[in-house]
Amino acid sequence: MFNTMIIKIAWRNIWRNKIRSLTVVGSIVIGVWALTFMMAFYDGFVTMYISSAVENDLSHIQIHNPEFVDEKEVKYTIDDYTELIKVLSSDNDILSFASRSLNNGMIANSKGSRGCDIRGIVPIDEAKLTRLDKKIVEGNYFDLTKKKNPIVIGKKLADKMKLKVKSKVVLTFQKTDGELISAAFKVIGIYKCTNSIFEEINLFVQQKDLGRLLEDDQMIHEIALLLKDVKQLDTVQAALASKFPQNLVENYKEISPDVNLYESQMGVITYIFIIIIMFALIFGIINAMLMAILERTRELGMLMSIGMNRMKLFLMIVFETVFIGLIAAPLGLLFGHFTVLYFSKVGIDMTEALEKVGLNEILYPTLNVESYFTITVSVVITAILGAFYPAYKAIRLKPVEAINKI
Amino acid sequence: MKNVITVKEVTKVYNPDTIPVHALRGVDLEIGQGEFTALVGPSGSGKTTLLNIIGGLDNATEGSVIINDQDIEKLSDSQIIEFRKQHIGFVFQAYNLIPVLTAKENVEFVMLLQGASQAARDARVKELMNAVGLSEHLDRRPSQLSGGQQQRVAVARALASKPRFVLADEPTANLDSKSTADLLDIMSQLNQEENITFLFSTHDQRVIDRARRVVMLEDGAVISDDTKM
Ligand SMILES: Nc1ncnc2c1ncn2[C@@H]1O[C@H](COP(=O)(O)OP(=O)(O)OP(=O)(O)O)[C@@H](O)[C@H]1O
Ligand SMILES: [Mg+2]
Repeated sequence: MFNTMIIKIAWRNIWRNKIRSLTVVGSIVIGVWALTFMMAFYDGFVTMYISSAVENDLSHIQIHNPEFVDEKEVKYTIDDYTELIKVLSSDNDILSFASRSLNNGMIANSKGSRGCDIRGIVPIDEAKLTRLDKKIVEGNYFDLTKKKNPIVIGKKLADKMKLKVKSKVVLTFQKTDGELISAAFKVIGIYKCTNSIFEEINLFVQQKDLGRLLEDDQMIHEIALLLKDVKQLDTVQAALASKFPQNLVENYKEISPDVNLYESQMGVITYIFIIIIMFALIFGIINAMLMAILERTRELGMLMSIGMNRMKLFLMIVFETVFIGLIAAPLGLLFGHFTVLYFSKVGIDMTEALEKVGLNEILYPTLNVESYFTITVSVVITAILGAFYPAYKAIRLKPVEAINKI
Repeated sequence: MKNVITVKEVTKVYNPDTIPVHALRGVDLEIGQGEFTALVGPSGSGKTTLLNIIGGLDNATEGSVIINDQDIEKLSDSQIIEFRKQHIGFVFQAYNLIPVLTAKENVEFVMLLQGASQAARDARVKELMNAVGLSEHLDRRPSQLSGGQQQRVAVARALASKPRFVLADEPTANLDSKSTADLLDIMSQLNQEENITFLFSTHDQRVIDRARRVVMLEDGAVISDDTKM
């Protein structure tokens, strides 16, 4: 029908001034390529940030007594602990888990004292789950053969209290009945992690030492676990929550609002990237199409004279622009795709750039199919918007004046 | 004989607010069905202006142009585009054809605008391209045709929609004498065999000689109107 004729003309018009069309195609290709890479880079960054938080600190799921979350009192231990451990050990979706006794207390030496969060851990489990053993920068991690009451403290705390490996400290904390007890510990290791506030407050002791001092070795307040596949998050969380309704089962997004923010902001940032790039492209498109229309003024006048109405003329120009976008977008995506593919294999070393943020890792850009689709749609919308003004100019032409134009 | 075009007291003033140019000063003209009329006159006498007004490409300052019992001066912008598409064929001096379409596609173009069927289009294209002697060149683009051939395609295109008449403003101005003669042969043949009404402007004496009626304009007014017997 006639619309196929418009499409035919629009398509062929692209090739009339190849240099101009290719310039526009080229700038769209570069824009799309840059956009693809930026989106993948950002996506990779967020993934890295989240996985770093999950692996080092949050884990995927944490289980508490709900009262403990609110009141932080030692007596609110995890309900039905033995059964829970059985279930976790036999669940195939779970990669590893660790139990912790948590206690607020004081750490003191001859120089002074300060408040701290004491984390009673099972060293092997904790090493598997949060790699605490890998974060030791001075001294050693817990060792089964070693003597009584070892403690691992954060670098920040060590600096503040001028503690070194082998320093002696006294920890004071509450028993279930509210009574305070104190015990001497010896620093065997100093850890460093991505979060200096965490480092200052949290110190690690062996759960068995804590249990002995509290006269209760099942005083577990927290179980953290990692899944083999994050996709199982909701399923596993729901299953545990329904099996152990007395306990509070939370995922990492619920626990850490900033991780949640990062994840939800990803969409917003993506759109900001898109808008910036497309805004730049739209001017190139408008300029090129205005030139095309200027060149074809007489022809447009002739088309109107022989009965082509304004609507069709408008469409013809919009089609031409959209075609340019549709030629360019896949090329840009292809370049972008291969660039992302390359860097997702070799990685981008962010050690120096991100040391201050505390993330010292290799970044692997990632991009999902959805993003390719989003980019394509954005290019088409940009092309349509870019065509509007030139097309409007074209339909405002008066046939006589257009024909008489030299 | 029924009139196809009736021009009544048409005046045209360009730039009425600044330096008024009186391009037409009360032109009356009647064109009957099947005429083959040349509009002649010195440069600046108003030929193009009059053809543009008859073709609905421009508006008269005063007066009326009646085509098909319809005063086209009273039509809206979009109505006039529709009217041109249905009733008027145009051949311009140059830039007649859509450069990215083949000769065949150019001829079909207006028929597509009118929504004609594939079969109807094919038949008409064949007939017209035969009539203008270009049935061998259906698939050539305008750039692959000579100026004369392009104007012949333009005539075929103008006729494709079966208009009431064809307006041509100096259709031979850019052609050599051989091409001019060929184009006129085709036009007068279509006129005689198919009774198609032609109104064209020209400076060329050889073209004037071929016309059956010659209307002369001078300074925006008709000064003579001769019909050959
Ligand atoms: N757009 C315009 N604005 C102002 N004056 C115009 C315009 N178009 C034509 N004129 C003037 O109107 C008068 C008639 O011009 P027109 O083009 O109709 O003459 P013509 O007979 O076609 O001349 P030619 O043989 O040179 O083509 C001339 O004086 C011309 O300068
Ligand atoms: Mg003229």
